[in-house]
Amino acid sequence: MAVTTDQVVLNEWVACGWHGQVPMGQSYDTVIFGQEICVSRKGAEEYEVAVIEENGATGRTLPVQVRYTCIFTTLGNPTRPLPVIAEFDEDDRRIIGCGSVGVRTSPYRIIENFLDMAHFSFVHTNVLGAPDQTEVLAYKTEHRKDVDEIWALDCKFYQPAASTASAGGQMTDYVYRVMSPFSVMLYKNVFGDPARNDAICLFVQPMAETECLAYMPMALVDEISTPEGIIDFQQGIFLQDRIILENQRPTLLPLDPTIELPTRADASSIAFRRWLKAMNLQFGIYEKQAA
Amino acid sequence: MGEFRDRWTAVGLEHQVEPGSSNPAIVDGHPLAIWRGENGQPNIWHDRCPHRGMRLSFGFVRGDTLRCIYHGWGYESGGQCVSIPAHPELTPPKTICAKVYPATTRYGILWTNLADEPSSPLPDLGPEEGWHPLRSLYVNCPAETTADRLRGADCGVPDAKAGNGGDGIATIETGSGLTLLIAIQAVGADKAGLHVVARGEDARASGQRLELARKMQRLRCALEAQ
Repeated sequence: MAVTTDQVVLNEWVACGWHGQVPMGQSYDTVIFGQEICVSRKGAEEYEVAVIEENGATGRTLPVQVRYTCIFTTLGNPTRPLPVIAEFDEDDRRIIGCGSVGVRTSPYRIIENFLDMAHFSFVHTNVLGAPDQTEVLAYKTEHRKDVDEIWALDCKFYQPAASTASAGGQMTDYVYRVMSPFSVMLYKNVFGDPARNDAICLFVQPMAETECLAYMPMALVDEISTPEGIIDFQQGIFLQDRIILENQRPTLLPLDPTIELPTRADASSIAFRRWLKAMNLQFGIYEKQAA
Repeated sequence: MGEFRDRWTAVGLEHQVEPGSSNPAIVDGHPLAIWRGENGQPNIWHDRCPHRGMRLSFGFVRGDTLRCIYHGWGYESGGQCVSIPAHPELTPPKTICAKVYPATTRYGILWTNLADEPSSPLPDLGPEEGWHPLRSLYVNCPAETTADRLRGADCGVPDAKAGNGGDGIATIETGSGLTLLIAIQAVGADKAGLHVVARGEDARASGQRLELARKMQRLRCALEAQ
C-alpha cells in the first residue's frame, strides 16, 4: 500500500483509534492514508504515535491528541486545529464512544451519508424515518469561512424513534456541521427538552482511499438509557448505513455533478462536494476517465 | 464509449427472475440489475442509481417501477425517474434516467446486448417452442474457452455429441433426440455462467429435467479441472 502524496489530506488531523482501545503499556498498529503507524498507550490518557518504516523499524513520532473519546494524529502540518465541540465538556452529558466500524468506501461517502436525511425513511425505516413521511423540507447550507466549516441549518425530519430516549414519534430538528473532510457532527433536539441538543460526531480514519474506520462519539442528554442500549442503537443504525456505503459505485467520490445527479434535498452534499473541490484534494476522489 | 461488442449474451434463465424482484448479474465485469415488475416485463439495467451510485439490484419493486433502496427514487421501465420521495410534489427532470439495456427472452433464456447501438440478431437455434429450463451454473473458467472445453466434457448423458450453436452458445445432442442448449455468460476474466435449457422426449417430465440438472453439475468438474 502506497502512502498518499496528497499534501492537502496529509495536513488534516484524523482519528487513529479510540481511547481505551488498548490497556496501558500496550500498543497496536494501524494505517492512515496508506501509512502504517503504531499507537502506544503510555499512560491513562497519554498516547504516542509513530510511523512504521517499510523495513518495520519505528520512524518519526507524530503529533497526538486525545479528544472526544478518540485518538487523533496527523502526518503533515495541520492548517486547522481539532474542532471545538463544547457539548463534550458539559458536566451532565453522557459521553459515549461506540468503538469503530470498518467501511470499504471513500471517506467522503461516509461523511456525506451522515449529512443525508432523505435516506432515513428507506434505510432506517420506522426508526429515523417513516415510510409515509419522506419529505425533506428546505434547509439552509453555508460555508463558514472564519472556521472553514460547512453547516446545514434549519433541517427538520419526522422520526418515529429518534433515539433510545424517545417515547414516540417527533419532528426532529437537526443542525449539521462538517469540520474537516474526515469529521462531521450533528446536533439534534433532545426528546422532552427543547432547550438542549444531543451532539453526535462521526470521525473517519482513512486507511486507504476506499478503506476506512468510522468512530461515533456522542455527548447526550439522556439520564435513562444504559450505555449498552445507546451503543446498540448507534451501531445498529450505522450497520444499516454500511450496506449502502459499500454498494455505491464508484466507491471513490465523484465531484463532477453530472456523474451523480443531486436534487434539492442534497443541498448539504452539494455544498460538501464544492468545498472538497475548492480544496483541490485528490485522495479518495473519482477522476472521470478521458473518453 | 463503445466498450462492449455488439452481441447478445445470456444473463440468466427467464423463470428465475421473479415478478416484483431485482437481481444482480455481471457481464464482462459490468454490473447489471435484472428486475421484473408486476406486468411481467423483464428489465436489464446498469446496476447503478444515477443519484448517488447505489446498486439498483438492492432495490425493491412497487407495481411496475423499480425503487432504489437508498432514497426510494422510483424508475419506470424506460429508465426514467418518476418519483423522488424527498420531494413528493416534484416532477423529476428528464435528465434523471437509469442506463437501460435491451432485455429479450428466447428459449427460456434472458438475453441482453450491452453495445451502444445493438444491431446483431438474437441467437437462432430454430423454433422457440419446446425448450425447458434446466439450471444455471457458474464456473471458474474463462468464457472464451468454455465452449471448447464443453466439447470434450462428460455431462453424464449417453451418446452426447457437442456442437457449436454460435457465439457464446454450445449445444449437446444425444441419439435419443435430446438437445441441450448452453448459453455462456462471460462474467469476468475467469468466471462464466452457463444457462442450460433442454428440448426433446427425455426432457419432457419434470423428474427427467431434475435428473439432467443434477448431471450438469459434472460440467463444473470438467471445466474447472483444466
